[in-house]
Amino acid sequence: MEELVRVVEEEGEGNKGEGYKNPIVVAGLPDVGLVGTIAVSYIVEKLEMRTEKEKCREIGYIESDLFPPVMVIHEGRLKSPFRIYGNESVVVVLSEAAVPPNAVYPLTRALADWFKRIGARLVIPITGLPVAKRIEISKPEVFAVGNSEEAVRWLKEKQVEVLEEGFIAGSYALMLRECGKRRTNAISLLAQCFPVYPDPGAAASAIESLEQFLNLGIDVGELLEKGEEIKLKARDLMRQTALSAPEMQKGVEQDIPIMYR
Amino acid sequence: MIEKATWGYDGNLEPLYEVEEREEEFLVTFDLPRVRREDVEVNTTKDTVEVVARMSRAICWEHWGSVQRKITFQAFRKRIRLPEQVEPEKASAIFKNGILQINLPKARRKVVVPIT
Repeated sequence: MEELVRVVEEEGEGNKGEGYKNPIVVAGLPDVGLVGTIAVSYIVEKLEMRTEKEKCREIGYIESDLFPPVMVIHEGRLKSPFRIYGNESVVVVLSEAAVPPNAVYPLTRALADWFKRIGARLVIPITGLPVAKRIEISKPEVFAVGNSEEAVRWLKEKQVEVLEEGFIAGSYALMLRECGKRRTNAISLLAQCFPVYPDPGAAASAIESLEQFLNLGIDVGELLEKGEEIKLKARDLMRQTALSAPEMQKGVEQDIPIMYR
Repeated sequence: MIEKATWGYDGNLEPLYEVEEREEEFLVTFDLPRVRREDVEVNTTKDTVEVVARMSRAICWEHWGSVQRKITFQAFRKRIRLPEQVEPEKASAIFKNGILQINLPKARRKVVVPIT
């Protein structure tokens, strides 16, 4: 049977093909506050400017008949909105289009298979944790969920606050599970955010937390400075993403589990 | 049907907004980046709320989408029809970090039903 979602690796100049050295994968798919999308777009922008060895290049894309029939044009070049960037030690997955709810299961399975194939040592989906009083929070806190005993131990060692109880919903929740099924450690970082407004402040907090695992030396100053411009550019993706939130069962994240202790 | 764009050739952008219905009021928020408090105007009637907010610095996009030429936006503008009537004179608003939050008390009065 043909796969519903395929990861396509480009063999362009400078791409590493299979030459990964147990990379850490950072994923930022559109979700509440576009925290992951804003964070990984900024990471890619910063890593594209690095020296040859550390430079992050576009290395592939994700295709599926379940995705909307949409392509994006940047600097006159046609691209998939679902793209993968990286070098031998860091891989970044991002999307400029909302993930259709019916594509979430096959997408996370396809990505988890590919992460396994490239020998990823850790997968870090970045997302947001919607909070009602975000307007009163000047620096959003970051919480985390690990998909294995080892991942939770790392979080505790790094003193990242772990979500102890509750539901999680969306692509990052399934990515944690699918990676777990393939014995790939994964940690999701969740920054307090506005649910339906793009939140560069939350993305900055998430990047700072990510530094504990990846040590990329990324300064978030420019992200915070350009926050308003980013919010203006992210309006339409935020709107698309918010429309699919009910079908993604995002509301369940506010519910209390019956087995709460 | 093609979904309506969130911008217009008149230089206005439609802001992101959220309407939260509470027991006694509607809480309406707008995301207004690049806007200062003194440049926000809020008008309410019994069943609508309208926001016009001028940006401190216009945003200009070039070579993009169906425009393909320079287009500049100077303000946000949006009128929302509320699902039930409110008391406009009792409305209040705060503006913090680019977020406008408007409280609109509902017009209906609560009547206690006697239990016999």
